[in-house]
Amino acid sequence: MKFDLHIHSCLSPCANLEMSPAAIVERAVAAGMGGIALTDHQSARNAPAAAECARRAGLAFLPGLEVQTAEEVHTVCLFDTVEQALAMTDWVYAALPKRVNDPDTFGDQPVVTWDDDVVELEWRILAMGCRRTIPETAAKVRELGGLYIAAHIDRPNFSVLSGLGAVPDGCFDAVEVSRTADAALWLPRAGGYAAVRSSDAHNLDDVARVWTEAECEFTVAGLRAAFAARATRLSPPLTSF
Amino acid sequence: MKFSEVVDKVQGTVVVDNPEAEIASAYCGDLLSDVMGHCGDESVLITVQNHLNAIAVCSLAGIEAVLICHGRPVPDDMKAAAEREGVGIAVTALSQFAAAVALSSLVPAAK
Repeated sequence: MKFDLHIHSCLSPCANLEMSPAAIVERAVAAGMGGIALTDHQSARNAPAAAECARRAGLAFLPGLEVQTAEEVHTVCLFDTVEQALAMTDWVYAALPKRVNDPDTFGDQPVVTWDDDVVELEWRILAMGCRRTIPETAAKVRELGGLYIAAHIDRPNFSVLSGLGAVPDGCFDAVEVSRTADAALWLPRAGGYAAVRSSDAHNLDDVARVWTEAECEFTVAGLRAAFAARATRLSPPLTSF
Repeated sequence: MKFSEVVDKVQGTVVVDNPEAEIASAYCGDLLSDVMGHCGDESVLITVQNHLNAIAVCSLAGIEAVLICHGRPVPDDMKAAAEREGVGIAVTALSQFAAAVALSSLVPAAK
């Protein structure tokens, strides 16, 4: 089964407003994905809509969020249920800057329904780091029964390697390399963790352009077993961004 | 101090100009949450954070310009945001410390 574990919806301030859960699911199915995760910055508030879209399309789905930690490192948290992902969201929200988002500066943050109605505009700043550290976030994800993945370790900004110089031991279930990364170059620096490649899509054209493949159930337990067995295969990198 | 004078002192290159800016102080920081909390207005931010979000923080905190150290490249989306927000960008080959030394006549940014 092929899956894309890092996709942003319109709720992420930096994502294109075309990224409705319905459009993402349609694109992922067309691209032959067996499963996807929705991972907006600091929030899973569009996960209920995406879960409903995925259910209607018969696509396996994991709700999640991309937590920007106190170290300003991007980390992907994945869960089996929307309730777990929303509990994680509440925990992150309690440690966000108090300032109100300025859409002209960072972008709009619409919370939407499965059929594309805007419910409200999230007022919190999702584009900045929260006060939770990587070890604290790892412990919370584990407590809630989720998976914790270091995002795009090859990127020069907001990655665990750019910010901390190494991938901390014992925090993650896997590391992610991005679309264009040469895995052979980066995985030796990944601290022995299992690897995935994900799109980190912020617009529709990028959904499922790269993927990870494993023979497993698309659940936290299934992926955890595939990671433990080092049984993931990565799609080739894109040659241009 | 004018932005052009800041750029001269660090032997930098202007990427996005901000000729109107009056720069009184400076702050060194790479973590944007730290910059947002501590860098005051009328200042130049000395950083290696060559990311779009640095411009958003400048806009919110009233920072006039960003000085990118170690010759890091400025991505196109960061440049476009700076032009839109009226924030200057310059690149220098110097380190953050060397840039701060070169700009030592500015007062520390305090907030």
